[in-house]
Amino acid sequence: MTRDPYNRPVRNLFAGPAHAGTLTDGVSIIVEDQGVRVELSARAEQGQLAAMRFRVWGCPHLIAATEWACDHYEAGPVQALEVFPAARIMEYLAVPTEKTGRILVLEDAIQALGRSLAS
Amino acid sequence: MTERRIYLDYAASTPVNARVLERMRDVALSNCANPSSTHAAGREAQDIIAAAAGQLGRLLNVDPDTVVWTSGATESDNLAIGGSARHRAHRGRHLVTMKTEHKAVTDMFEALVKEGFEVTWVEPDGNGLVSPEVFAAALRDDTQLASIMFVNNETGVIQDIEALGAICRERDVLFHVDGAQAVGKLPVDLGALPVDLLSLTGHKFYGPKGIGALYIANRPGCRVEPILFGGGQQRRIRPGTLPTDLVAGLGMAAEVAATRIEADLKHLRGLRKALWDGIRSVDGLTLNGDPDGFPGILNVSVEDVEGESLLLALEPVCVATGSACNSKSQEPSYVLRALGRSDLQAQSAIRFSVGRQTTMEEVEFAAARYRDAVARLRKLAPGAVA
Repeated sequence: MTRDPYNRPVRNLFAGPAHAGTLTDGVSIIVEDQGVRVELSARAEQGQLAAMRFRVWGCPHLIAATEWACDHYEAGPVQALEVFPAARIMEYLAVPTEKTGRILVLEDAIQALGRSLAS
Repeated sequence: MTERRIYLDYAASTPVNARVLERMRDVALSNCANPSSTHAAGREAQDIIAAAAGQLGRLLNVDPDTVVWTSGATESDNLAIGGSARHRAHRGRHLVTMKTEHKAVTDMFEALVKEGFEVTWVEPDGNGLVSPEVFAAALRDDTQLASIMFVNNETGVIQDIEALGAICRERDVLFHVDGAQAVGKLPVDLGALPVDLLSLTGHKFYGPKGIGALYIANRPGCRVEPILFGGGQQRRIRPGTLPTDLVAGLGMAAEVAATRIEADLKHLRGLRKALWDGIRSVDGLTLNGDPDGFPGILNVSVEDVEGESLLLALEPVCVATGSACNSKSQEPSYVLRALGRSDLQAQSAIRFSVGRQTTMEEVEFAAARYRDAVARLRKLAPGAVA
């Protein structure tokens, strides 16, 4: 059988995105590029990301990557948003190289969120 | 895989009919001869092929001698278009086709452009139809060939082949029809239709893959030059050893279809109506194609939903998408773009295509899954990109 374009982590994250939604009492940013749109919202308490949510208009890889990122950063320090593990995500989710640009849009969104929370 | 797969991609390919499979098996086990051989076994293979030509001829209402076997519709289209255009090149080098034709047609025309031919690409209306007036206006005094598909593979739109063919006859223009989505599914009476060349393939109507045919009318000026070389088989039009079992399978598929077309159409109409009724309430839905098109195909676009995610969310329903976004390309369907759909509409398009084995339960499941998938993805999305 031809290789499935989506590995198991992508399928699981796409099927059950626990962080989907918008926080009405947090900071929100939207980044749009490469034909996709990423909206992130977060609430910080004492330098920690108390909650993080997302909405995405994009392909399954981007949805899965954004869900993974929310889970990765939530409950950690706001400062952690400065570092985005793009290569790790690409490998874990087996993101095709032609979709690299979309993952970089997510990186832009994560870093923009960090700046918004810090200001 | 825990969920049962629901196959709604009959426009891409159909399951082989049991009688077809039985016939192919019998032939494959009983006769290994080359049909070009003159010994008894070879002559028997020739008889098997002649019988298949008779079966196909009866389905199309044509003389079996007008059938040339090929490897499928792509080769038939290439042979019909390239072979006839080159044969008539001394009379003129202008050709006419539509923007919404299958790639097997458009790419052949593009190849002819590189050989010095000139092509007029007729625009469809918003439903995908070409009017006889628009078509006639595209023809010129030096036009030698026009090619229009019977049923569009993406939208199911049925062109008025009788009217378009009549215009070609009046103007002494050869008329080729890509009948891949029509033969065996709709009544195609070539004894009555003014068609000079018609392409078909077995696997679109419950026959095997790897075998197709080209009908070449037996009338003055209707000739094609070969595009393959290497032997004198099939009157030197299409050389190569014929696969006797596959030819026999296509013949049987034609025989089965001849007895079932009306019943199949009735079945498909019921399925399409149920599918459409099941999804028509979705906000922002657009039907791509003609409401009176071939009932085996339903193509819809939806606003604010990304196509690749929609395709994954629809699993285990197997459908076709309006773009090649599962491959390396993000190119939206050129057929839907020609109908005036935006890139986003084309990219969100889903083609449901149903067939003989599709059940009402399956289309009801697919409709429910479509509604749920659209709702879920819209909830997930902050609106489509501009």
